[in-house]
Amino acid sequence: MIIEGGIVYDPKNGVLGEEMDVSIEDGRVVEESRDGEKIDARGMLVLPGGVDAHAHIAGGKVNTGRIMRPEDGRRGTEPRTKLLRPSTGYTVPNCYAIGYRYARLGYTIAFEAATPILEARHTHEELEEIPIVDKGALTLFGNNWEVLECVRDGDLDKLAAFVAWGLRASRGYGVKVVNPGGGEAWGFGGNVKGIDDPVPSFNVTPREIIRYLMKANEALRLPHSVHLHTNNLGKPGNYETTLATLRAVEDIAASRDRQVLHVTHMQFSAYGGTGWKDFESKASEIADYFNKHDQFTMDMGQLIFGSATTMTADAPLEYANARLLKAKWSNHDIELEESSGVVPIVYGRKNPINAIQWAIGLELALLTEDPWQMIMTTDHPNGGPFVNYPEVIALLMSRPKREEELATLHELASKRSSLPTIEREMDWNEVAIVTRAGPAKILGLPEKGHLGVGADGDVSIYEIDPEKVDPSRDHKEVKAALARAKYTIKGGEVVVRDGEIVAVPQGRTYWVDASVPEDQAAKVEADLASKFAKYYSIQMSNYMVQDAYVTRPRVIKAGVI
Amino acid sequence: MRQIVIKPRRGFRVPVEAERISPDVFAPLSIEEIRSLQVWEGNRKVTLSDLFEISGESEPAPPEETVISLSGDFSGVKRIGENMTCGKIAVAGDVGMHAGNGMAGGEILIEGNAGGWLGREMRGGKIAVLGDAGDYVGAGYRGESCGMRGGEIRIEGSAGDYLGEHLCGGTITVVGDAGDFPGIANRGGTIVIGGDAHLPGAEMASGTITVRGRARVLPSFQRLETVEIDGLRFDKFLGDLVDGGKGELYAASVEEG
Ligand SMILES: [Zn+2]
Repeated sequence: MIIEGGIVYDPKNGVLGEEMDVSIEDGRVVEESRDGEKIDARGMLVLPGGVDAHAHIAGGKVNTGRIMRPEDGRRGTEPRTKLLRPSTGYTVPNCYAIGYRYARLGYTIAFEAATPILEARHTHEELEEIPIVDKGALTLFGNNWEVLECVRDGDLDKLAAFVAWGLRASRGYGVKVVNPGGGEAWGFGGNVKGIDDPVPSFNVTPREIIRYLMKANEALRLPHSVHLHTNNLGKPGNYETTLATLRAVEDIAASRDRQVLHVTHMQFSAYGGTGWKDFESKASEIADYFNKHDQFTMDMGQLIFGSATTMTADAPLEYANARLLKAKWSNHDIELEESSGVVPIVYGRKNPINAIQWAIGLELALLTEDPWQMIMTTDHPNGGPFVNYPEVIALLMSRPKREEELATLHELASKRSSLPTIEREMDWNEVAIVTRAGPAKILGLPEKGHLGVGADGDVSIYEIDPEKVDPSRDHKEVKAALARAKYTIKGGEVVVRDGEIVAVPQGRTYWVDASVPEDQAAKVEADLASKFAKYYSIQMSNYMVQDAYVTRPRVIKAGVI
Repeated sequence: MRQIVIKPRRGFRVPVEAERISPDVFAPLSIEEIRSLQVWEGNRKVTLSDLFEISGESEPAPPEETVISLSGDFSGVKRIGENMTCGKIAVAGDVGMHAGNGMAGGEILIEGNAGGWLGREMRGGKIAVLGDAGDYVGAGYRGESCGMRGGEIRIEGSAGDYLGEHLCGGTITVVGDAGDFPGIANRGGTIVIGGDAHLPGAEMASGTITVRGRARVLPSFQRLETVEIDGLRFDKFLGDLVDGGKGELYAASVEEG
């Protein structure tokens, strides 16, 4: 296949809006293709396929959201066709809709951001049903008893062996840490209040948990860094916790050419104020810090007005949400591993808190100078559903659009944030970084997010001419074009044409198989045998995700031997 | 006024989804175009005239000057008048479930009985039923936090269970009795029940419920005072305190125990 004459942005390979051809053969980008299939992309924008590094798209809490929200299910229903299965839902779409909607946006890979090992089978059962896109799942470690014990005992080697085991048991891709220690404390109705607040019974602190897991992650040379949801997330004044967390790990070095820590949905962790009354943005403090520390990355967690469903392993946060909003609430205890919660929410333009939160996400993206440190996300569906990515991109590219929006919001959005003063407008190269090249680099996926020879043949083509359209002024055109890819090509196959799905291949599931010394693995196995005998509700043999659950794996090797 | 008359050609053994029967949909169409509108009978796609005999003036007219007369048994026909904003539907007979769904304006008059979910999530307009109505009148559909937000529903007969569930506005009047849990999770609407009611106002946060007959009142309601309305004496209650509610419940006769 040859994609002819498009305006290509491929930041990783230094291609900045050049008119050029892209050739694909056997699913990969090649110098020259001979099969004769041609796609005319003249006057169109050509990008590598989109990479979503953080979304909640599969597993127990997503399904809890669906069960709790039949009213969401009936929004966004699309009947089946000869090719497609029926779609339902807006904030918690069914599996099929997730795949179709990513493909229509030009996205070709998405990562589920939080899977407890105990529920990983369910996660994979759903991932298997998400069509078209490649996917993977990050595994939760921040409140796991085995982790807490290794940290308490100062046994880094055993911790690394457990992380390797946990990734294999869950067929997971990376180390996710959510409110470390807080999930365990929630089992007793409590929480941790900062990074030095000890976890009940274990007498370890969040600071120690984060540091040890980062060291284990680097000892194993995992493709992705630790992926952290900070303590005190969602609370006024939490930017101090966020900065304290980052300062506490400045001395740790990355084992690979990538960040040493990814802080996720930063919008929820960049709050000032002593309460909701004096709630304000501290995005500029966070961005300043990132501008001086290039070993850290973040994603936006942009808020989208309207309906959302919050879902997180941060169960005490969801309890607070449910009390504040008087909303439906699901709470879940995941045995020795985590807790979690789900609460629906509606973000309102005239709600001062929501309006400030909206501004914070954009501030973070625009004040962080290096786009390689920033990923565009909405923390789907916590900040809002991923189908709104074109809206977020249009906001990043157009100051007039931001001003139009600000005029419709509660006035505190302008008074308690610096957004009105920010002139920066991202260009197509920066957009390609924050939606493609950056997340691929941050996740450690060398074959994704670019169009160099050997890259996966994942391409999105949009009916918009970057040489003619001024995104600042023509932001409506930008949003419309990005919402409906002219073509999405996945592994060299056209899957979307004119915004409609035309083929439904099955993507691959990434997971990381990290090797560890046998003596360390044996110590972990012995610990786990006793934990399963004493505490777990199931047998270890029913716990591991077997190969049958991941029918098209892409296994990435890592480890210490 | 443009009048369009619709009569079933036969009985329906599976439900017909007829959300196209609405003044807003009919107004710009000729009678031929109306006949060829698509509806679902069970899982089969059919035209309106496959199922119904349709007569009336052929020329389009504005929706506010469109009157649809349904005559015969429409108890197996769902979603009549869905999302209508003006005009009138008059039914000489019964209607099926979900009549007047999401209706924003206009009028529906039902001479017979209405099925469940009458006026569900209605925003404005008027529905009158001369017979009885089923369960979930003016309610929100599964999971919604708001049912009816505005408008008026009047039922001359009795209503089923969960009358006005998650009511966020508007008024529902039932001349006869209401079933279990009328006004459950009321969030600001008004309900008047002429007859008896069982456990009204459970989980209500605000709004008003008046029971002119006998009511069994939940123990989570606080009895405040006795008041006189239209010559009838009522016990006034505050609730539902189970959820810090500030709703008002009036009952003419309270069933004890
Ligand atoms: Zn998340």
